[in-house]
Amino acid sequence: MSLQLVANIIVLAAIYALVSTGYVLVYRVSRVLNLAHGELMMMGAYLLVATAGLFSGNPLLALVLAAICGLAMGMVVYAVLMRWMTGEAVLAAVLITIALGILLRGLTILIWTTQQYYPGATFGWRNPPVHVAPGVQISAASLAIVFFTFVVYVGLFVFLQFTRWGVRMRAAGQNPLLAEQRGIRLHGVYAFAWGLSTFTASLAGMLLALDSGVESTMATIGLKAFPAALVGGLDSLLGALIGALIVATAEIAAIQYVNPLLSDVVPFVVLLIVLAIRPWGLFGSREQLDRV
Amino acid sequence: MRTFSILSFSAALATASLLLLTTADAQEAYTVGVTAAMTGPAAATQAPVIEMLRIYVDRINAKGGINGHHINLLVEDDQAEPSKAAANATKLIQQDNVMLLIDSSLSSTYGPVIAEAKRANVPLWFAGAVCPKDTHPPKPDPVLFCSTGFDFGYDIPMAIAAIKEAAKEPVKIGLVGMPIPISRIGIENAQKQGEKLGMVTVDTEFIPPTAADYTPFATKLKEADPNWGFAYAPWPTEVKTFEALRRLGWTGTYLCYGHLQSEDDLTRIGDGGFQVFSANAYFQDNLPVQKEIHEAAAQGKYSYPATYATEGWITGGALEQILTKAAWPASAEKIAAAMTTLNLDTQGLRGGPLVWTVDNHFRTKQYYRFYRYDPDKKSVVRMRDWLAVDVID
Repeated sequence: MSLQLVANIIVLAAIYALVSTGYVLVYRVSRVLNLAHGELMMMGAYLLVATAGLFSGNPLLALVLAAICGLAMGMVVYAVLMRWMTGEAVLAAVLITIALGILLRGLTILIWTTQQYYPGATFGWRNPPVHVAPGVQISAASLAIVFFTFVVYVGLFVFLQFTRWGVRMRAAGQNPLLAEQRGIRLHGVYAFAWGLSTFTASLAGMLLALDSGVESTMATIGLKAFPAALVGGLDSLLGALIGALIVATAEIAAIQYVNPLLSDVVPFVVLLIVLAIRPWGLFGSREQLDRV
Repeated sequence: MRTFSILSFSAALATASLLLLTTADAQEAYTVGVTAAMTGPAAATQAPVIEMLRIYVDRINAKGGINGHHINLLVEDDQAEPSKAAANATKLIQQDNVMLLIDSSLSSTYGPVIAEAKRANVPLWFAGAVCPKDTHPPKPDPVLFCSTGFDFGYDIPMAIAAIKEAAKEPVKIGLVGMPIPISRIGIENAQKQGEKLGMVTVDTEFIPPTAADYTPFATKLKEADPNWGFAYAPWPTEVKTFEALRRLGWTGTYLCYGHLQSEDDLTRIGDGGFQVFSANAYFQDNLPVQKEIHEAAAQGKYSYPATYATEGWITGGALEQILTKAAWPASAEKIAAAMTTLNLDTQGLRGGPLVWTVDNHFRTKQYYRFYRYDPDKKSVVRMRDWLAVDVID
């Protein structure tokens, strides 16, 4: 296998891993499978389109503002929609996320139409190739995706292990009743989890938009990242990372050695195989899955 | 109580009058139905066509309509899904009694729409979407017509011959498509045409539209070492593959069909090796009709850049002429008959007029122009003026 293929696997795995983070965060904390995650990722990309239009001379400001809006968007989604699902069947909450996804898809077309946008071009940035090793080139935006995926995973590990809010989040995920009895405000924790989930999704959307633009079908990338989260185990961040690597390797091997047309199917084939052997995923918790 | 009764009666009377007026207005209008991919994976190419058609029709209606009658344009979104397109066609023909049906969607939706149109004997016009073979001469289907600029039957042989003509060394070609019928057939055709002209096809990539990253496909293509690339697919696939190839350091020349987004994107990419052929003129020509399109787009609050509007404008112009010829009272039969006499002056938007006859529901000549970005001039330049290809039996 050439070094370029290894680089391609790392980039694709980073995309899937970054998107998967959001699935895992929300599921781990609130047991809700967020099927609007792809659309929220796409909204993040469109937020960058909006801020790039406003601050085309200041890319950093536009990026930071879009990321903050992404965080706020998740919290608003929780406050307006998901909060009212507390105590209801998990299936009802999942159905709400499907409705949210349809709503967001319609909303983006109403606001931004079906046109392809290139926020990078708005900044006058051309996404140049970067030599990462002899004979190996990836785009600057792809390098940024790998870098930010690393930062997000390290950041989340530190956050969940060593900060007060991280411990509260884990407690709420493990035993919400006990956590509330200990004085943890569950709605605050859930809202923050949704905010973080949408923040990481938005970040993925923004970086993908800088790499190859954004259009109204971008949400399907969120769906392709879903097998990565399930393969790894829906309540494990480490699992999402390894799941993303497995799915990306299988996909690129199919493109390179079998048939490019299989690239759409392969992630789901991997998912079926893993679920048949270990239904709770490679690093997931068995009892958590039984509860679903 | 009595006051309440009078009020209720008045309200009922007003509502009934309004309904009668609406029905009368619909009956007195040319009713044209559209099933189009206004959202979904094909919307980037189809929605701008229908939105400009809507603006064109609104302008006609604002001037009093055609032959004293308004056009009632009913647009239904099929999201490029065959089942939705089938439901739209049934509704538009059976419920809304349209006299003419326009289809602007993926070719995978055509089957049920064609079947419904033929069953009801309502003319079906493909605008901004793939032209079915049944519109071609010498024996087109009596109810099927097409005005779309591109057509793989003519595009591919012309483009491959153009590559052969431009190449200074033996051509090793890499082909790029999307796994949808039109693109697959086009690319397979390109391979055959290339072989006939002595080209070697070193790799063919059909890239799914859901690909998160185009680099893996471009890597495989680059490893095959082509000196030419040829793409025949929706614009995002064509352009993203080229950009991924360049980022990998590929230095060859790349030719693809210039869809409606291409004029803006050639400038954005700014690469002299990225060439397109297009059936429609670019707005850099600054033709009087293009100024009119700009004005219409601004007045009608067109959601896309005006450079996306050519196909929609040509569709509007053809519709205006067809309905004028169909006179009033109109019917599906009269409109179908009027369509066989279409002779639209495209005013420079294409290389010549759009002509339909009884034996040809496609066009009599197909025209192409070639464009690329010139890094020295820092602008898009025309590489080759209108190349006319006879549409033969």
